[in-house]
Amino acid sequence: MHHLILITWKGLLRDRILQGILVATGIFLFIPSVSVLSMRQVGELAITLSLSLTSFILLLIAIFCGGTALWKDIDRHSIYSVLGLPISRTNYLLGKFFGIAGFLLLISLVLGLLASATIWYVSLTDPPARPILWTNILMALTFDCLKYIMVVAVSFLFSTVSTSFFLPIFGTITLFLGGNVTQEVYDYLQTPAGAALPALTKQIALFLYYLLPNFAVFDLKANAVYSIPLPANGILLPLAYSLAYCGLLLSAAAMLFTRRELH
Amino acid sequence: MDAITIEALSKTFKGKRGRSVEALQGLQLSIPPGEVFGFLGPNGAGKSTTIKILMGLIRATGGQASIMGIPVSSHTARRNVGYLPENPSFYDYLTAEEYLNFTGKMFGMTGPMLHERSQAMLHRLDLWEARQRPIRTYSKGMTQRLGLAQALLHDPQVYILDEPMSGLDPIGRALVKEIILELKAAGKCVFFSTHITSDAEAICDRVGIILQGRLQCVERVETIMTPDAELSPGDSAQQSLEKFFLEIVRKGSH
Amino acid sequence: MKQALSLTLCAAFLLCLLAPVARHMQERPFVQRVGVSPQPAVMRFVTADQKQIFGALEVLKVLIYYGTSLEKAQQHQDIVHDFQGMYPLIKTATRLDPYNMDAYYFAQAILVWDMRRIDEANALLDYGMQYRTWDFYLPFFAGFNHAYFLKDYDKATFYYKRAGELTGSDLFIRLASRYMYEANQTGLAIAYLQTMKAGARNETIKKSFDLRLTAFMAVKRIEDAQAAFLRDLGRPAKTIEEIAQAGYLATPVIDPYGGTFYLDNTGRVRTTSKFAALPSNNAK
Ligand SMILES: Nc1ncnc2c1ncn2[C@@H]1O[C@H](COP(=O)(O)OP(=O)(O)OP(=O)(O)O)[C@@H](O)[C@H]1O
Ligand SMILES: [Mg+2]
Repeated sequence: MHHLILITWKGLLRDRILQGILVATGIFLFIPSVSVLSMRQVGELAITLSLSLTSFILLLIAIFCGGTALWKDIDRHSIYSVLGLPISRTNYLLGKFFGIAGFLLLISLVLGLLASATIWYVSLTDPPARPILWTNILMALTFDCLKYIMVVAVSFLFSTVSTSFFLPIFGTITLFLGGNVTQEVYDYLQTPAGAALPALTKQIALFLYYLLPNFAVFDLKANAVYSIPLPANGILLPLAYSLAYCGLLLSAAAMLFTRRELH
Repeated sequence: MDAITIEALSKTFKGKRGRSVEALQGLQLSIPPGEVFGFLGPNGAGKSTTIKILMGLIRATGGQASIMGIPVSSHTARRNVGYLPENPSFYDYLTAEEYLNFTGKMFGMTGPMLHERSQAMLHRLDLWEARQRPIRTYSKGMTQRLGLAQALLHDPQVYILDEPMSGLDPIGRALVKEIILELKAAGKCVFFSTHITSDAEAICDRVGIILQGRLQCVERVETIMTPDAELSPGDSAQQSLEKFFLEIVRKGSH
Repeated sequence: MKQALSLTLCAAFLLCLLAPVARHMQERPFVQRVGVSPQPAVMRFVTADQKQIFGALEVLKVLIYYGTSLEKAQQHQDIVHDFQGMYPLIKTATRLDPYNMDAYYFAQAILVWDMRRIDEANALLDYGMQYRTWDFYLPFFAGFNHAYFLKDYDKATFYYKRAGELTGSDLFIRLASRYMYEANQTGLAIAYLQTMKAGARNETIKKSFDLRLTAFMAVKRIEDAQAAFLRDLGRPAKTIEEIAQAGYLATPVIDPYGGTFYLDNTGRVRTTSKFAALPSNNAK
């Protein structure tokens, strides 16, 4: 399987997408000048912008690479030659997945370094109100990366049942937005106004809350930007959650893909 | 043990609104090691469908198939197989050298052995000059040659080739015939589909003719070529596989 | 050939359009430009995991809007202000990122003074205090609002104490009690504005503080002169002119907001500009 991972990696590194990412990283250069527009939190704004840019680039990579990976192989018929090799469908899927996950990790590392350099540069002249907690920034970046790896797993699940890239891409975007909002809905249900909702509505909302991936779990941006201490639970639980959920998504994807007919 | 065993294999493609295509019906076939078997049939007869089932790309609706005794549903069955897909396509961002390196490793080949074999195949299929160019830049025939190279690379016992001559120039076709004959001499089993009866005539031990998903006949090439044989209709003086094939198709479609 | 011709024609047409389009966008009624923001709940949904940046953008939008309208007002241009529209945006910003200090700061610096939306500002500050638990500015703002605008001295003391605890100094407690019990409103405002100005980084905001501080200094000068007049002559002055004629105001006092100072019938110093930076079609 690791041979397929390497090949997938090579493909991504040789893809145009890398040039696109390089162009996008140029935006980091503008962050210092945009940050000074802030009245009271130049340093904090620099952190916000850096983390957001990193996160946004990773999201694009996750959706486009994840959503088109299988489709490309099938559409260009290269999947026939690969599956003619003694590799199970599951391993093929995992090879592709880990190839993209590794690529995301690499890009996160590079973008993380750029983001940190930008934050550091701005903090020389405009330190945030509270001293920067670099471990928090590292954690925010790491969990962002984990989140987008999970997004890739979502797009793989969609890819296994779809013959085009529409479902993988738009389905993943929808689920990504949904997975970011279920926590809001859940929180709302805990309020008096939420409790007054019809029982059925509440049941459906709760069901979706537990079923859909909860991406809000991985959002440590506030902790990074405002140096809010992270509890140990805030690290271990999301980590375990992402492992469990990715495992679930990939198992389901493997099951569907093994049954899939490749005409 | 037979190299390839196909038992009562059938495949129905379910289309939309209940329309379905019976691409294969009760296919029964077994091919021993050391035999070159030509799988003939007009367009849409079911050749590629059979081969895709053998490679585990699609599942049969009925019956079973195995390669070297291993059911095709298991990916381990493909360890002994060199497969050339119809109109092959490979990861086009790789070079031929990288692709061969990748397939070799997937078959468990390593180090100098792999290197040597891959160099030999690149030379043999005349891809040496282009070996460091991305596959994206290859012509149709060059891609076909690469497909043959990756099928031959790991020296398997069984070869399943879907139209190996397609897209090749006369030199390439001669080369493929030569290679298949060499494989036969080495005791390998070669199962290939083709439309070109003269090629099949030259290299096959046996041919099977399939028409609308049904196997019409399986016959030794020698038998077909023998004049006055009961089987061979028409002008007995000039016997050829082509005539035989056309006759079978004509009879079958009535 | 044909393509080249059509390309040239279209390019020329587009070039002709660029300036009019830009002018049109410039000339839009000002109200349109601060824009509207969807409900906070909707924003929280669509901004997914980018809430902080969208929060910051809302504040920047308001800030830039405010900066330009201030400029236009100083050039005495006739414009329609949309200060009512700023509050929802600021509120949305805090719902997206409850830690965003810019939002609270802007609410306090501008919304409170220019719009007198004291209750809304206090609600925002209370909300922010739940999150920015380390920040003395929020209780400091709240304390001032209660003391100066609402005259709710108990509440003011509570907030000032909290600010004092957070800074570790009792500056705020002293500040609060001294001024509150003397009811020295002008002094309270000046002390507050000085603290605010010292921490201001943004030029627009700094300018607005400067302006207000100058105004309060002027009021303070009149009040001091008024007090001296009373002390020396044993009777309160009726008008500012009277004080000036008696020699207590060496130079004329100028309202930086462009109004004229006068004494109301209770003897308090007032101005015709009402200290509003902008023509007061907003303060409905
Ligand atoms: N995915 C599919 N859905 C429906 N019908 C299909 C599908 N794939 C193949 N068929 C049908 O199955 C039959 C056999 O197709 P197959 O590709 O095996 O033909 P073939 O013998 O390889 O033909 P050719 O010589 O043109 O390659 C055809 O009638 C074809 O239309
Ligand atoms: Mg075919």
